[in-house]
Order: sequence, then structure tokens, then C-alpha cells
Amino acid sequence: MDFLLLLGQALVNGLVVGMLYLLMAVGFTLVFGVMRVVNFAHAEFYMLGAFGAFLLVTRLEVPFLASVLITFALAVCLGWLVEWLVLKPFRHDELNGMIATIGLAMILQNGALMVFGPDPQSMPAVVRGVTFVGDLVIPNSRLYVVMFSLAVLAALYVFLRHSRTGRSLRAVVEDLEIASAYGIRARLVYPLGFGIGVGLAAIAGALMAPLFSVSPFIGTAPMLKAFIVVIVGGLGSIPGAALAGLMLGIAESLAGTFLSSSTAEILIFALVIAMLVVRPSGLLGRPD
Amino acid sequence: MPAPSASLGGASTDRRPRRAARILWPLGLAVAAAPFFMASPFYVHLAILTCLNVVIVSGLSLIARTGQLSFGHGAFVGLGAYGAVVTGMHLGWPFWLAALTGAAIACLCALVLGWVILRLRGVYFVLVTFAFAELVRLVLLDWPGITGGANGITGIPAAELFGFAFDTRHRFYGLALFCAIAALAFGLRLSRVPAGHAFDAVEQNAALAEASGLNVHRIQVRAFVIGCGIAGFAGALLAHYVGFVSPESFNLSLSISAIVMLVIGGRHSVWGPLIGALILTPLPELFRAAVNTQHIFYGAALILILRFLPDGLASLPARLRRPREGG
Repeated sequence: MDFLLLLGQALVNGLVVGMLYLLMAVGFTLVFGVMRVVNFAHAEFYMLGAFGAFLLVTRLEVPFLASVLITFALAVCLGWLVEWLVLKPFRHDELNGMIATIGLAMILQNGALMVFGPDPQSMPAVVRGVTFVGDLVIPNSRLYVVMFSLAVLAALYVFLRHSRTGRSLRAVVEDLEIASAYGIRARLVYPLGFGIGVGLAAIAGALMAPLFSVSPFIGTAPMLKAFIVVIVGGLGSIPGAALAGLMLGIAESLAGTFLSSSTAEILIFALVIAMLVVRPSGLLGRPD
Repeated sequence: MPAPSASLGGASTDRRPRRAARILWPLGLAVAAAPFFMASPFYVHLAILTCLNVVIVSGLSLIARTGQLSFGHGAFVGLGAYGAVVTGMHLGWPFWLAALTGAAIACLCALVLGWVILRLRGVYFVLVTFAFAELVRLVLLDWPGITGGANGITGIPAAELFGFAFDTRHRFYGLALFCAIAALAFGLRLSRVPAGHAFDAVEQNAALAEASGLNVHRIQVRAFVIGCGIAGFAGALLAHYVGFVSPESFNLSLSISAIVMLVIGGRHSVWGPLIGALILTPLPELFRAAVNTQHIFYGAALILILRFLPDGLASLPARLRRPREGG
């Protein structure tokens, strides 16, 4: 009975962490799908999102929910601007575009360091208390994260499936040339895709800000996880990222419960390598 | 557009580079010799770090010459450093053997990793080398019996070759300078032999290279293994110079600074690593007070160089010459 409880608890924790990975990875893979550029600045948008929510809630006393939405909107605008100012010449240039995003990440991270200082700051909890599901204990703050992430993903799904803009975005991910031939204006789709991608990272950051501390360095770890998720799920595949994100969160939580957490990390890396050998295009990715 | 890669490294019959070389060689020798006569330990320290960075970036440049960008270069420096320190201190091996063992460990890891991931597209290579670097850091942290865990290993003795200890800064500078020159000479030599041409062919058009009978996968693995071996050797030198290693000495920022040096110096030139290391090693040390502004400046420089001078500073002379010749 104890074992089952432990297992259930690990699954629940894994689901929460998996949601974070999922949000990070979906944004990351969306940017890659549209621009064919690995965005190393993704971590910094996560960090900026966390700071955005932190500042809005603590300084301006905006309600948390509204602050997450404002942060998302600001991140989309910033992403749009950055794509237009910095990344425009590097569209579809995998190597140089990627190096340019490293430069971008350096600017953003050190800019944040100058403005906010290096010390981690903590944000007041949004909700308190716990919910019992049978014998399982779920902190409400985590439940909140899961609910919000699900809502965001549902909105994203509807946007990509049913809105005109979202469909043109997907068309560009599928095939740029044919999409252009059908009259989709790629010059609008690029900044939009980048903006939404980094906006998702900012939402992840904003949602996680009350759970963890906020500092200019918090983005790296979730970005590394996003890398692993997109490798496993298939680069550019959004359903693949969703599936692999949840799997990674649960696998980590299970392995961390029953093994030491560094052993878990090593095992997961071994799994990633194995995945690349057996199925290089990822779970749901298309072979090149 | 002609390939600019031959402008500095290749044997050119243009007279202007010859004339430039007549000025550059003595100047280079003078700069290289200057630290021997400097009294300030700080400047000699900078000179040593520059030399070691030349070696590290040379290794990365070799990998980049086959069209791959490694994000785990710092981890291979770390593997070499730990390999050398552990075999040297625990097993009592002499410095040269320990350093070579360190390099061999880096090579071996690169071989296993490269064999698997170099079959994949470049992007996957980047992501996996990034993740691999993180894994190396975790293993080093998690193996305190041998690596000292987060505390690292202190009290590493100075390098010693055949009874001669490189225990002062000036002496070690001699060793570091020799290694930097050797690394550059290796790169230069490689740009003039078929094996090196094969590297360039793979970078420029992998499909065409494969169709011409080159085994692209084998060539990329070879470049990766050699490049990581060079990084590992540089790590062994670094560890014996600083006297201390910890997992944090070889984290992502080392990998990224190597990439920044390579890109700003010039990816397609043999001299890129030299130029990048020469410019970017002293800068952060001289501006320690303003380290954040420094990094912002680096980031901006990286983007601007990519945009306007994608072959780095090494391509600047050719770029400046071209309009005049064209007109």
C-alpha cells in the first residue's frame, strides 16, 4: 500500500514537472519548426517570464492570473521585435541563426543580471493548502500550474487548428515554399511563430515563479530539459513534444523517487542516446 | 563568390599577403616572446590563458571544419583535465603520460558519442553535445571518491617533463606557447593535405563529398575525436597550471566562450582560433569590474559579426582588399 502511495505521489509530481517541460518544449519546437533555428535564448525568455510575473505581482500588485497573461503578451511582443531586429537575416540558416541566439541569450541574461542582481528572490505563493485525492497529497499551488498549463495548451491547440493565422503558421512549419505559393505571407509568420514560441516559455516561467525562486540563471535547467524533450519527441513536432514532455517529467520523478536523482539524470541521458540510435527522428517526428 | 577560406591559410600567389606576412611574422614572434620578459605575473597569466585558449579553440575549429558545432567542448576539456589529474595523482603517473591519458579519455568519449550522433543532422549534434556536457558535469559531481565531487581536486602539482618542472609562470608560458604553436601548425598543415581538404569538402557540401567517394560519417567522427582530444590535452595543461579542478571549471560557459572565440576569430580560417583567443581572452580579465556589460558587448559583437562578417575577423583583410581589386 505504501509503495502504491509513493508511486502515485511520484506520478503526480512527475505530471506537474512534465507540464513545465511540455510548455518549454512546445514553444521551442514551434520556433524550430517555423524558422529552423535552435533558439538558445529560449531559457532567457523563461527567466524574463518569471521576472515579469514576479514584478507584476510584488510591485504592481496585479492579480497572478492577469500578470501571467500580461507577461505572455509582453513576451510575444518582445519576441516579435527580437525576430525582426536580430534574427531576420538568419531565417533557415541553422548554424548562424543558432549562434546568433547565443549572442541574444548572453545579452538578455546579463541585462537581467544588471537590472535585477544575481540573488534569487522568492515570490509569495498564489494559493495555499493541499488537495487530497484518495491518499494522495497534491499541493494546490501545483494543481494550479497543471490547470493553467492545460488551459494554455488547449488555447494553443484551438489557435493552431482552427484560426486562420494558426493554420498558416502550421502550413509554414510543413512546407515554406508551398505555403508561400498559397499566399501565406511568411514575413508575418516568422515573427509571429517566434513570438508565440518564446511567449510559451515566458508563461512557463511565470507559472513556475511562485513555486521556485526567481533569478537570472533559472532558465538553463528547463531549457536543457526542453532539448531532451524535443530530441525524444522529434524536432519540430508539437504532439511529439507534448508526449515526450510528460514522459520525461514522469520518468524523472519515478527515477528520482526510487533511485538517486543524479542516477536518474544519467539514465535519462542514456535513454536519449538509445532513442537516437533506434529512432533518430524521435517518437512522432518525421524522418528527414 | 570565391571561397574566402583560402585567403589567409592557403598558399596564395598574391604579392600583397606575402608583404603582409613579412611584417606579421616578426610582429607575431615579438608578441609571443614578450611575456618572457614581463615582470608582471598578471600579464604572463593572461598570456598563458591565451595560449591555452588557442589550443582549446583549435580543437573546436577542427570539428567546425566538418560543419558541426559542438556545444560540449568545455566538457571534453574537463574530461582531459580530470583524466590527467586522477591518473597523475592517484596512480602517480608522470605528467606527460597523464596528460596523454587525459586526452585519450576525451578521444574515447568523443568516439563513442560521435559514432552515434554524427549520423544525425547538425541540429541534433548540437543538442546532444549540450546535454552530454551537462551529463559530464553531473558525473563529476556525483563521483566524489575519485573526482572530489563539488569541491573538486586541489593541490595539483606543476607540470614536469623529464625532471624539468614548469613551476613558474614564465616556464609554464614556454610550455603553453609551444602547445599553442603546435596546435596552429597542425591546423595549418591540415589545410594543405588531402585529409584536411576532405574536412572542408564535407563542410561545404556533405552530399557532394559523399558522392565523390568520401565517407562523410567517418571524416566527421575523425574530426570530432581529434578536436576533442586536443581539448582534453588543453584541459590537462590547464589543470596543472591552475592547480585546481572542479566540475564548475568546465561548465557551459567554457563551451560557449570557445564558440564565441571561434566565430569572432573566423570559422573558416586556420588563424581564427588565434585571433579569437588573442582578442577575447584578455578582455574579460582587463574589465573585471564591468563583467556584465562585457558579456552584453560580446553578445552584440557575436550577432554583428555573424551578420556582417560571417567568416570572422580573419576574413577582414580579404574583405577590405576585395573592393579595391574588384574596382
